Amino acid sequence: MSAYYRNNSYERHTDYPDYSRSQDHKKEYLKTQDYPDFPGSLNNPDYPRTGSNAHSAGSRTNLDFPKSVVEQDYPGSPNSTDYPHPRNNPYSEDSKTSPDYHRSLPEFDYIEFQGNPHHLSSLREPDSSGSLRNPDFAESRISGNYADARTKLDHFGSLGEADYPGAKGNPNHPGHRANSNHPGSRRNLGFSSSRISPYTDSLGQPDYPGAENQANSLHFLGEPDYPGAADHQNSPDIWGEPDYPGAKDGHGYSSSDTWKMTRGGNGPLGILGGETEDYPESIEMTSVKMANPYGHSLPGAPGNGYVNPAFVGENSHGNGNLLLSKCDWHKSPQGQKLITSLIPMTSRERIKTIRNQPRTMEEKRKLRNIVDKEKSKQSHHTLQLKCCAQYLNSISRGYRRSKNSLSDLLSSISLWQKALKVIGGKFGTSVLSYFNFLRWLLKFNIFSFALNFSFIIIPQLTVAERNTLQFTGLEFLTGAGYFTKTVMYYGFYTNSTIRHRSSGPSYDMQLAYIFTIGAWLIACFFSLLYSMAKYFRNSFINPHIYSRGIAKFIFCWDFTVTHEKAVKLKQKNLSTEIRENLSEILQENVKFTFRQQLACFSAHVAAWLVSAGVAAACCVAVYYLAEYNSEFLRTHRDPGAVLLLPFVVSCINLIVPRFYSMFGLVERYEMPRHEVYTLLIRNIFLKISVIGILCYSWLNIVALSDEECWETFIGQEIYRLLLMDFVFSLADSFLGEFLRRIIGMRFITSLGLQEFDIARNVLELIYAQTLVWIGIFFCPLLPLIQMITLFIMFYVKYISLMRNFQPPSKAWRASQMITVFIFLLFFPSFTGVLCTLAITVWRLKPSANCGPFRGVPLFIQSIYLWIDTLRKRSGYTWVVWIYQNLISSVHFFFILTIIVLIITYLYWQITEGRKVMIRLLHEQIINEGKDKMFLIEKLTKLQDMEKRAKPSTLILERRETEQQGPLHLGECDATPDLRFRRSVQEDNLKA
Amino acid sequence: MGSKQTVFTHEQLEEYQDCTFFTRKEIMRLFYRYQDLAPQLVPLDYTSCPAVKVPYQLIGSMPELKDNPFRQRIAQVFSEDGDGHMTLDNFLDMFSVMSEMAPRDLKAYYAFKIYDFNNDDYICAWDLEQTVTRLTRGELSAEEVSLVCEKVLDEADGDHDGRLSLEDFQNMILRAPDFLSTFHIRI
Repeated sequence: MSAYYRNNSYERHTDYPDYSRSQDHKKEYLKTQDYPDFPGSLNNPDYPRTGSNAHSAGSRTNLDFPKSVVEQDYPGSPNSTDYPHPRNNPYSEDSKTSPDYHRSLPEFDYIEFQGNPHHLSSLREPDSSGSLRNPDFAESRISGNYADARTKLDHFGSLGEADYPGAKGNPNHPGHRANSNHPGSRRNLGFSSSRISPYTDSLGQPDYPGAENQANSLHFLGEPDYPGAADHQNSPDIWGEPDYPGAKDGHGYSSSDTWKMTRGGNGPLGILGGETEDYPESIEMTSVKMANPYGHSLPGAPGNGYVNPAFVGENSHGNGNLLLSKCDWHKSPQGQKLITSLIPMTSRERIKTIRNQPRTMEEKRKLRNIVDKEKSKQSHHTLQLKCCAQYLNSISRGYRRSKNSLSDLLSSISLWQKALKVIGGKFGTSVLSYFNFLRWLLKFNIFSFALNFSFIIIPQLTVAERNTLQFTGLEFLTGAGYFTKTVMYYGFYTNSTIRHRSSGPSYDMQLAYIFTIGAWLIACFFSLLYSMAKYFRNSFINPHIYSRGIAKFIFCWDFTVTHEKAVKLKQKNLSTEIRENLSEILQENVKFTFRQQLACFSAHVAAWLVSAGVAAACCVAVYYLAEYNSEFLRTHRDPGAVLLLPFVVSCINLIVPRFYSMFGLVERYEMPRHEVYTLLIRNIFLKISVIGILCYSWLNIVALSDEECWETFIGQEIYRLLLMDFVFSLADSFLGEFLRRIIGMRFITSLGLQEFDIARNVLELIYAQTLVWIGIFFCPLLPLIQMITLFIMFYVKYISLMRNFQPPSKAWRASQMITVFIFLLFFPSFTGVLCTLAITVWRLKPSANCGPFRGVPLFIQSIYLWIDTLRKRSGYTWVVWIYQNLISSVHFFFILTIIVLIITYLYWQITEGRKVMIRLLHEQIINEGKDKMFLIEKLTKLQDMEKRAKPSTLILERRETEQQGPLHLGECDATPDLRFRRSVQEDNLKA
Repeated sequence: MGSKQTVFTHEQLEEYQDCTFFTRKEIMRLFYRYQDLAPQLVPLDYTSCPAVKVPYQLIGSMPELKDNPFRQRIAQVFSEDGDGHMTLDNFLDMFSVMSEMAPRDLKAYYAFKIYDFNNDDYICAWDLEQTVTRLTRGELSAEEVSLVCEKVLDEADGDHDGRLSLEDFQNMILRAPDFLSTFHIRI
């Protein structure tokens, strides 16, 4: 179809007697030709060559035409400084001086295009750009179309849609878009007036890439009975000579068709580089501009809507200064769009978006200033109350400032910045993750301590009795003796209501205790959940396409490593690892024999059995020890005897994990990751079961025994366990690791330096933290103790790491492991603690003679009693109501559970849908790649054919090829930016 | 506090804060780091926005970058003209992108640029070879390097055009969760 029109016009050109003269005019043609063509490719250093090649390849339809086109491209594209030169030719001179413009241009044109139709095609664009520079002209043109546009609002809507592929931001060629708007506006004029044209449909489909639109629209531009001509005749005074539109219509447009046709034909194949891309942009730009006045009020009225003034102003600026540098990208439609989208945002979002722009500081700053300016302008427009707006503004600014200073303050107290940097520089991210985890735990404990301290400990301190017990120093180890009568343990807290003056506010210690612990548990739960979810999101963002490939080695160079030796070591390790991986990939098909498999399998089974047996044996030992501990304590009056149980438990924790890691000598794992996970599971199983056994013995034996104050006793036990664990880790760091280094360096040099065992160390932290959580009810000061131990541990581990260890040789999936650690901290550890505390509160009887809950049959009874007292008071009925209908009501929880289940189910379904979507999109990417390859093949074939075949048939085929591309694109309508990427990719194909 | 006022105006500092992921204090620290690189070049008064560039030789000698195999690329990508000479803005930009707070997409975009040695907006086999050579300090043989490149392209090239586009790269980065923590330079 299109080719047919094109051929028609082509024949018409041949009718021209002076056709051959085009060669004579070549020089002049040259100058004018590059004028319209270069705005696009000029500023883009990537494109000039592309563009020129494209022309030479694509436009050999006419024997003399290609030459001129080829040449036409060269002078302009290599450097932009040539650009002013063509502007000196008469046309652009005329177009700059607007008064003469109307008269001189048509006349000149007329003569010219009589002789050389191709020439006119080039003129078509300069004059349109010139006319834009002439503001009156632009106005009248817009108003001329105004009527049309109003009748075809939907048409404009489609033009203005953001779905145009080119409109999606491509940061690589920001500059040239601003230039291309003038030819575009001209073309747009055509669109708007083409009501009759059948091609309007294709315009209305935003899925087609710009080039396709362009090509189609140009067809009807080429039609002799093009309706747009009427528009021109409506404004004859602008065009000067009334004959001119007709003439232009007859010749100019059709010739431009030929010219454009070849370009359009090439467009989707991406040979034309920036040229093709300009089209959608220009359409977009002008449509925004035109749609704006139509959408708001009178066409000529400036300043309706915030976009318009800046937009037009920048347009004219862009026209005047065609040599746009890269930093002017915000004047491009894409930048404009960004600005427009930024304005309605809140300031926080806006700053976030600006920060996330991959642009230079200067561009970001300009963007920020423009948006701020527009924002203030807009707020002046919308909010008539200026002072109110200013007030709001100043409030938001003040808020931002205070937030900034707060973050300043927070960053200044962030611990160990320097030490962490050194660790990262020497050992990389994986070891760093252990220290980050430690720091995170420390912050967690600071929070717990702050909560406990302010709500439980301070009130208790105000009424504390004098401690009469003697302090010997051994208490630091045993936790008993002097400490029993301090705020450290449950037993010291009073059950009375604290009231300093007879009429002053009262503070019920019992309630404070239970509510503080409850609030703390809830806060812990949510903060754990939050950080777990955050890590999950980051590290399992796409779990089902985990690649075991080597791409991650290549692109995940650890930029934190800065130490010279470490870098060299890392490079060495990396090359070994890559080599291993390569051999693994190459020998992937090599299978073990049945005998080997059997041996491997039996080794696994044996290892699991042994490890489970050892864990069970440890548990039994701890159980019996705990059971007979009280008896043992009765017979041994020595205060140090209480340390027996913690000592045994710590020994188990020290020895058994090392025993487990020796299994690695027997077991063979295909992947080192599996080994780490297996080790992790065995260790966590051991530690959690030991703690579980201890809890069982506490809750079932100690709590039911006739101990004077069993809560305090449990608190002391936990304190001792924690302290013993700490002492063991210290000894391990100072002695074990040090000795290991001496052995590795001096005696058995084949061992070399050891590597930091992240898994084991993290598990030790988790173990200690679990103890602290259990113990917080019995010993509210435990977070403080844990804070101190963690603080010391950091330095001990840091020093030991620097002296005794070498950087890890394997690429460690650190972030995924940290996710696993936090999950472990949440799942067996924290949930276990919740269960233990729940049993304690709901099932156990508090001691009769000590602690805030003395005299109450159950811990939870204190809440029941409180509700009962509230019932008698009139002002608190709502609390009672909430308690009865929400907290203690089974129905409420039943309904809540059902709602949560429904939501979960819905989300699950959404996730399933997304999975399908991801799969489809992935397939689509592959298909598009195939499309592209196919098109490239076809193109190369055509280029070969082109040398032999007739020009006309060539264009026919190219036309087909071109239509194929966009049709494929049209199918994938789900992701507009994908399409855009596609078109950009194609543009770059030949680069 | 006093010195802060003389180096930048209040507005400048606010601008920097809005355009980077840094707090005021960090910006000042970075400025002094920058100033220390070339004390005779960089003035202590930035209120008039002097156009000063610190040459690449000095930028590359920072301890954070000195041993980084990609230091030259980093400097080139973030410098204005691609020659590695940096203004203060470029310098702040660089560390902002490399900071902990920068989102994955931004990091991936710049990582892509860093690995795109010939600046053609694609990571082709040649770029990969360069990367691998730098990563392994020439310890792998030529065949191994080309095999690695082949495998990487095989893995990551979603549309099978024989090279990695930004989208391919981003897609692959999603599968490497460590990227966020490793593409990070502490200051």
